[in-house]
Amino acid sequence: MSRNSLKWIPAFVVPAFVVAAVIAAPLAAGAAVDLPDKTAEQVLLLVNDSTVSTFSGTVAQTTDLGLPSLDLGAGVTGPSSADALSTTLELLSGSHEFRVYVGGDSQSRVQIKDRMAERDVVHNGSDVWLYDSSTNAATHLSIPPDLAATAQAKAAELESQLPADLSSPAQLAERFLENLDPSTTVSVGTDARVAGRNVYQLVLTPKVTDTLVASVSIAVDSETGLPLQVTVEAQGQSAPALQVGFTTIDFSTPNADLFDFVPPATATVTSPAFPTTPDGSAASHTGDHSPAAGGSPVITGTGWSSIIELPASAVPAELSDNHMLEQLTEPVAGGRALTTSLLTVFLVGDGRVFAGAVPLAQLQAAAE
Amino acid sequence: MSSSEALPGERPSVVSSRHGSGWSLLASEISVLFRRRRTWAMLVAVALIPILLAVAVRLSSEALDPGEGPPFLDRVTQNGLFVGFTAMVVAIPLFLPLTIGVVAGDTVAGEAGLGTLRYLLVAPAGRVRLLRVKYAGAALFCLVATLTLTVSGAIIGAALFPIGPVTLLSGDTISVSESLARSLLVAAYVTVSLLGLSMIGLFISTLTDVPVGAMAATIVVSVVAQILDVIPQLSWLHPWLFSHYWLGFADLLRQPLDLGSFGQNAIVQLGYLTVFGALAYSRFVTKDILS
Repeated sequence: MSRNSLKWIPAFVVPAFVVAAVIAAPLAAGAAVDLPDKTAEQVLLLVNDSTVSTFSGTVAQTTDLGLPSLDLGAGVTGPSSADALSTTLELLSGSHEFRVYVGGDSQSRVQIKDRMAERDVVHNGSDVWLYDSSTNAATHLSIPPDLAATAQAKAAELESQLPADLSSPAQLAERFLENLDPSTTVSVGTDARVAGRNVYQLVLTPKVTDTLVASVSIAVDSETGLPLQVTVEAQGQSAPALQVGFTTIDFSTPNADLFDFVPPATATVTSPAFPTTPDGSAASHTGDHSPAAGGSPVITGTGWSSIIELPASAVPAELSDNHMLEQLTEPVAGGRALTTSLLTVFLVGDGRVFAGAVPLAQLQAAAE
Repeated sequence: MSSSEALPGERPSVVSSRHGSGWSLLASEISVLFRRRRTWAMLVAVALIPILLAVAVRLSSEALDPGEGPPFLDRVTQNGLFVGFTAMVVAIPLFLPLTIGVVAGDTVAGEAGLGTLRYLLVAPAGRVRLLRVKYAGAALFCLVATLTLTVSGAIIGAALFPIGPVTLLSGDTISVSESLARSLLVAAYVTVSLLGLSMIGLFISTLTDVPVGAMAATIVVSVVAQILDVIPQLSWLHPWLFSHYWLGFADLLRQPLDLGSFGQNAIVQLGYLTVFGALAYSRFVTKDILS
């Protein structure tokens, strides 16, 4: 009998060993890191002095905003703005994995890894390709050559307007911290490991208490100064509300072939004109409302608790009668509201929209 | 139900040569496994999956819109090499685990049910070796089943549709020979994916003398794991489920080749292999063999 009991030992020891390994592996990866102490200013300088221009890596994004889960695939047959909205929401909810390749300033490629599919954004010089494998559709954008020149001229112009003493990065960092000071405590958190590298954690904590943001921490690679991870914590929530960070990173130059995107022969290729606004700068927003058509957004409050107000005329019509929005929001006194752990949006009955990283009551007060 | 072709009379010859080495036992196990009509029926059924898919797409007059149907199905008409990938996606959730469940569930319980187990275990150190040999047979079946699917997919795809450079998920195009190499890599990935389930099946098979029960239980385990995998409230558990990476072979169809999920999958399967291997060992060496 005792011989038989001995033979049961593996049945207990081996699973226990495997479970221990499963638990120990992440602990070992997160083992205490002790880097030479640096002040917040020195860490900012480290970021600024970073010379990394080529790298590749895997980026993981996890979101826990407390958004209601949506059947995003189903209800999306509306106009393109609804598509853009659902894509944004889809990327903001749940977790995603990206592969990122950067080969200098003018070459980059981002791959969004979907289940059995992939979305690619390839930027090479003046060409930008978007490819979606689930629809096998490619979109080609040519960046107008004058755009880069315009941007450079604008940057130079801005620089010339700046006080001369800001030309040195050290002073820039100092100035940045000074500007943050009234609203934010900037500190250096405990050293950690991200993507297998030792990092400094720059932690921004709001000094006000009426915001939903508990803290923002930025993990900065101790050797190269490249920010590797951003974590946003929300009030009263233990899991990060938003975390984007590298899980692996490689600082060697990616293969140049990666940036030469040739659309597959079977794909449908569209080449829309590069979206521009009359003054020649790139417009990041699409849709049929131009700044002239409605009032511009008003920002009230300062720092973390600022509230943005969109007048009714500036709200695109498709937004107000979008049924997905109805699904997302819930009726509250005076209109409908979307409450997440980081951001609250209040759609007032008269068409105005208020948004901010503040509790709903503050938005309602602002709307009155 | 079980191994009617494996006549009890075949085994004594094995028993007599078992003192030589484990290899003859393995060879005998493999030859018994692949001489069974049931094994052949399952392999034929596996081979029929891509054939049915390809014929259905060929005969259908309407073209699929991109993104409709199972992954890659809309590309099949343009390139026959996608037949194998689509068939793999279709077969992984149920059909392949089903065949693995039948083979792995039968390993020990089948012999016990037939009354041949005690002949196989005359030698003192026989039980561990028998488990090893039984597992090797089941693992070989995983490989043969996935290769059958891949090869039959490639052949029927080439027969019914044009063959050309393959577009990967990333939008890059690779040559036919490279795409065949990737198909084999996908077959290797799926084989590795099924190794954990095979060991679970072997363990369940040591628990009972009723092979049908062990087969059914193994299949149920695979279905339950996949159901758990889609319940969002259990997301903490998902990375530890043996079925979690089953469809992760999509990463082999990206450019550049991403072997990350291959490694993760292999580690998870190794974990299941170790745990259920230990359980099967302890159960089997202490078992009272009455039949």
